[in-house]
Amino acid sequence: MAKDILILAEHLNGKLADITFEMVGKAKELAAGFGGKAVAVLLGNGVKSLAESIGADSVLYVDDAALAQFNPEAYGRLLAALIQERNPRVVMIGNTSIGMDLAAGLSVMTDLPLIAYVNGLAADGGTLAATSQIYGGKIQAEALPDGEACIVACLAGAFPADTGKGSAPVEQIASPAPLDDLKVNFVKLIEPEGGDVDITQQPILVSIGRGIGGQENIELAQELADALGCAVSSSRPITDAGWLPKTRQVGKSGLTVTPKVYLAFGISGAPEHLEGMRGAETIVAVNTDSKAPIFDVAHYGATCDMLDLLPALTEKIKG
Amino acid sequence: MLALTERTIFVLMVAVFGSITLWGFFNMYRIVRRGRAASKFQNLIPQAVKAFLEVGLQTPVYKSRLILTTFHAFIFFGFSYYLLVNLNDLLEGFLPGYSTAEVSTGIIGPLNFLGDVLSIGVLLGVVVFLVRRFIAKDKRLEFNKDVLLYPAVEKGGVKRDSLVVGGFILLHVGSRFTGQALRLAERSIINPMQPFASALSFALRALPPSAFTSAIHASWWIAIGLIVVFLPYFIISKHVHIIAAPVNLGLAKQGERGHLDPAVPPGAPPDLAPGAATLADLAWPRLMDAYACIMCNRCQDVCPAHNSLRPLSPSALEINKRYWLNENFTGFAGGAASPPLTEFAISPEAVWACTTCFACVRVCPVGNEPMADIVDIRRRMVNDGAELDSGIQSTLEKIGKTGNSFGQAARNRAKWAATLDFKIKDARKEAMEFLWFVGDYASFDARVQEITRTVARVLKSAGVDFGILYDGERNSGNDVRRVGEEGLFEQLAEQNIAAMSKCNFQRVITTDPHTLNALKNEYPDYGGKWDTIHYTRLLAQLIDEGQIKLAKKLDYRVTFHDPCYLGRYNKGFNPPRALIQATGCEFVEMPRNKENSYCCGAGGGQIWMGTTPPGERPAENRIREALAALATLNGHGGNGAKPDKPLLFVVACPKDVVMYTDAVKTTGNEGKIEVKDVIQLIAEAMGEELQTSNSQLQNAVPA
Amino acid sequence: MNIVVSIKQIPNLTDELEINAEGTGLDHDALQYVLNEFDEHAIEEAVLAKEATGGTVTVIGVDTTGELDGALHTALAKGADSAVKITGDFPRGTDSHTQAKLIADAIRGMSPDIVLTGVQAADDRDGQIGPMIAAHLGVPYVGVVTGVQVKEGKAVVHKEYAGGVMAEFEVALPMVVGVQAAHQPPRYAPVSKIRQIAKTAKIDEVTGGAGPRAGSTVRRMFKPESAGHAEMWEGSPEEVADKIATLLAEKGLVKRG
Repeated sequence: MAKDILILAEHLNGKLADITFEMVGKAKELAAGFGGKAVAVLLGNGVKSLAESIGADSVLYVDDAALAQFNPEAYGRLLAALIQERNPRVVMIGNTSIGMDLAAGLSVMTDLPLIAYVNGLAADGGTLAATSQIYGGKIQAEALPDGEACIVACLAGAFPADTGKGSAPVEQIASPAPLDDLKVNFVKLIEPEGGDVDITQQPILVSIGRGIGGQENIELAQELADALGCAVSSSRPITDAGWLPKTRQVGKSGLTVTPKVYLAFGISGAPEHLEGMRGAETIVAVNTDSKAPIFDVAHYGATCDMLDLLPALTEKIKG
Repeated sequence: MLALTERTIFVLMVAVFGSITLWGFFNMYRIVRRGRAASKFQNLIPQAVKAFLEVGLQTPVYKSRLILTTFHAFIFFGFSYYLLVNLNDLLEGFLPGYSTAEVSTGIIGPLNFLGDVLSIGVLLGVVVFLVRRFIAKDKRLEFNKDVLLYPAVEKGGVKRDSLVVGGFILLHVGSRFTGQALRLAERSIINPMQPFASALSFALRALPPSAFTSAIHASWWIAIGLIVVFLPYFIISKHVHIIAAPVNLGLAKQGERGHLDPAVPPGAPPDLAPGAATLADLAWPRLMDAYACIMCNRCQDVCPAHNSLRPLSPSALEINKRYWLNENFTGFAGGAASPPLTEFAISPEAVWACTTCFACVRVCPVGNEPMADIVDIRRRMVNDGAELDSGIQSTLEKIGKTGNSFGQAARNRAKWAATLDFKIKDARKEAMEFLWFVGDYASFDARVQEITRTVARVLKSAGVDFGILYDGERNSGNDVRRVGEEGLFEQLAEQNIAAMSKCNFQRVITTDPHTLNALKNEYPDYGGKWDTIHYTRLLAQLIDEGQIKLAKKLDYRVTFHDPCYLGRYNKGFNPPRALIQATGCEFVEMPRNKENSYCCGAGGGQIWMGTTPPGERPAENRIREALAALATLNGHGGNGAKPDKPLLFVVACPKDVVMYTDAVKTTGNEGKIEVKDVIQLIAEAMGEELQTSNSQLQNAVPA
Repeated sequence: MNIVVSIKQIPNLTDELEINAEGTGLDHDALQYVLNEFDEHAIEEAVLAKEATGGTVTVIGVDTTGELDGALHTALAKGADSAVKITGDFPRGTDSHTQAKLIADAIRGMSPDIVLTGVQAADDRDGQIGPMIAAHLGVPYVGVVTGVQVKEGKAVVHKEYAGGVMAEFEVALPMVVGVQAAHQPPRYAPVSKIRQIAKTAKIDEVTGGAGPRAGSTVRRMFKPESAGHAEMWEGSPEEVADKIATLLAEKGLVKRG
């Protein structure tokens, strides 16, 4: 079956991760081009019903007590065996916390090339072209595997998830490799705990500026932050007004923050403010003034009304 | 004259208490010797003369607190004179028939007059000080609430000491004065040369005649005997400043203020750790500081960190050192180690709150240098890998990797010059008269780059032959050194000196006063000996010589902020003022100007830190000071009266542009006052004379 | 405890990245190289582990720039005990597959108890080095780790999932760990110490042979359009909300329902 695409289904706490559907959707499109099938592989314990919710061409699943939780060693061993056995054209793995434990090791074990950080995939005249987002998002690199087969590690959110949802013929297979002598043992899951707010230590910041309008609207930002499990920060006018404590102020006269995502709502982007947040990995700015300087440093921007956007986003995050 | 037993007792007391005191001084000497080497013994005679004059004229004390200092001067002159008075009293006690109280003629007459008047002066001064401390409870004698205090200080040691010393002076001088009055009263005479004692003597005439002899004896004992009893306590009291302070002033910093001593004394063994962790790691003059400190808190008054409610008090540092030494007197003298300074003398938060503005050192009446302790403590913390403020650490790492505090690629350093309509000479390729060392903020900060271009245009228009180092320039290291990263500073100095040594130029100009300081005062130690001046000095000269013509008279009301590293550190007070006045602007001084200028809060690495002080930031305080000064001029009422011309806050430091532009906003004064660099005034006043156009810059986006 | 840290140099991302004339790679010569930030955390975690349990820390990397010494000296100043550089014909931007093979070959003989490395690097186009080293050595790998505790032939590691959920694993040594963050911020190495070490310390040099290469070829490299100005999202607040939610999920910051 050298034309098939094998997709590793990712799940945590009994729930399939979106990346699974995103990859499956893309895989179906590519497999059609190669004349093969998109075959999802699900490893777990008591996961038949999960397997049934994947919209691939077919779903294989291994059900084993040792797979009740993600285990990089067990997954690696089984996937290596499956790849040897089924010889797929493409193996798709998430470029996620789980997938990053597997793809590079599999590439060495199976001698297949790996293209990682992929946010674009195309079957270019029978050849797979994979585009990687590298150098901190500053560069895109489109590459072709040297041979026919390869592994691609896909970034979350790169492809639409909808086409990967649905159902497919499900087949339980025996574990292709032994799982009784693992050196890696899962101990427990640790849920995050709430603590004091230190805006310099937040992975996400919901940051608000003058555009918030009034003190009563702070609540909208706080609700979003609660849903995201992060904190509300602000530009100077908000703390000057006493709507938020000074400890939440980002910028020259406040704190310097470097979250992974900085959501700037109603902040125009005075240089003093920009100085405190331009080190954020990704900046999303929402401001009704399309000429606001915040858009010069933001990676993504929108000009819609933040007071409508805040509750809409909170609903989305809450699911 | 005293009875034989009294004289015997007195001599025995002198022997006993005198020995204890000598032992105390010996230990004090051993304590100071525990400090690290410091070369302080150059120019001893001129230094001694200088100290003598300073003490005699009280000039270091008069640097602040005019009225209180005058009362201190009363006490000082009184006490100095009392050396003579006390000698006279000894003679009276020991020489049969020798008495001077009633003498109003000859040499003794005027001497008596002085003694009488000065006694009142001392008593008045001490009463004022005691009232200020214990009744008026002057807030300036208190510390911010989070300032680390050694337990003995926390428990009110300073108050108790002040009470003891104050009480001693009242008793000693009061008793001597009363003794004079008693002598006059006994004989019912008036001595016109002792007017105050004579006045008191009227009241004392009421005493029964039999009481006089014992009362006079008692007054002698309380005046003179008390000194002897007090002597051993003297060693551990604030009063020892009368000896330690003159010595300290004699040994005070020589050479440039902006030159820090190296992190290890020259010639030290190679394994000696840089900077200071414990008391014995400080240079010995810093241990003297603890003894010289009179706990007046003048340093704290001028400290920008203290005034922003941060937990730093330079005086608390000295006082804590002192009280620890008092409690571990012989132990430390004998070689015992002190705990880390950060555990009893100054908290780590306080160490990192210092802006190195030098105001504390400048204002100290006894020549102390608390800032030197702080820099040394930072040096050791950096050396030992202590956890640093994340902003400081990342900035140091950026400078280490890229040579600038912005973490930008070196090739971007001269990007600001790309939008000029002329090319600035590359110092690495061509010869020139002036090498312009631009500095990080002037080169990389988008808010400052236009000002930097203006400097270039003005220089070009004035026909100055200048160039820059382009990628070859690195951070000067001035503030790197002041956050304690001595190694990185040395590396930067060596790299800059190597780059500059390959160029052909006569003098160096800088935009950044911090850079000026490093190049002018610290690079010579590393072989970089150039004539370095701030650009304001060059411009003032060019205007004088007529090479810059100011075509337009400007109509602003302006005040000028002296940047610490231009003014207090390098005495560049006048050129910026001359420039402002040449533009025709109406110039107003702020109350705190020149030597007494108030720090913007950026120096010593503060601008790299992510922390916000809990109170009013120094720059905000300064903007309010400026507005008040500008408003009160020519009867313009401050209360909302609209000024008749635009107000400007003029600076001459790239970091000040950044700090004060922000502070104008945070104090809600946007539109009321504008921050400008002095070069912008010059450019505006040059009008058409500014030949290089900036028309093509109007649409250019700053990089 | 024999701890090995594998490090890698990458371009300084604050630089303007220029693409070469062929349009297939970066103009590496114009770039300044710095140590991968995650490797800084790996070094810190290694030194912390050594301080907690004793042992030695060896730092190793492939010298792709001729400037690896600086990074190695810094690691030594932070508390590593020895440093090894692999030299040979390895230009800037040498792929992960090659570097991983060279490092695995070099450390096999050292019989490390644990190998720490940064979980990823900005130029890992062909994958991360950590899992590859583990595969070459035939030992287990756990990545995205924020805390390592070593005791009696075992390591307890905390692996981060999206949304702050963590999994604890107990792993029989030897193993390779991909460090996301040390449990303390990486310490500062004073320059005076680095300079001192540069004068006295010896860096072991290993000559490396040919590597396996990436297995894929870049045919086009380009900058995403959003650079310089925000990529603007049009649409209703609901549509924008969806875009933001997608972005957050992509970053692994929220679980998507």
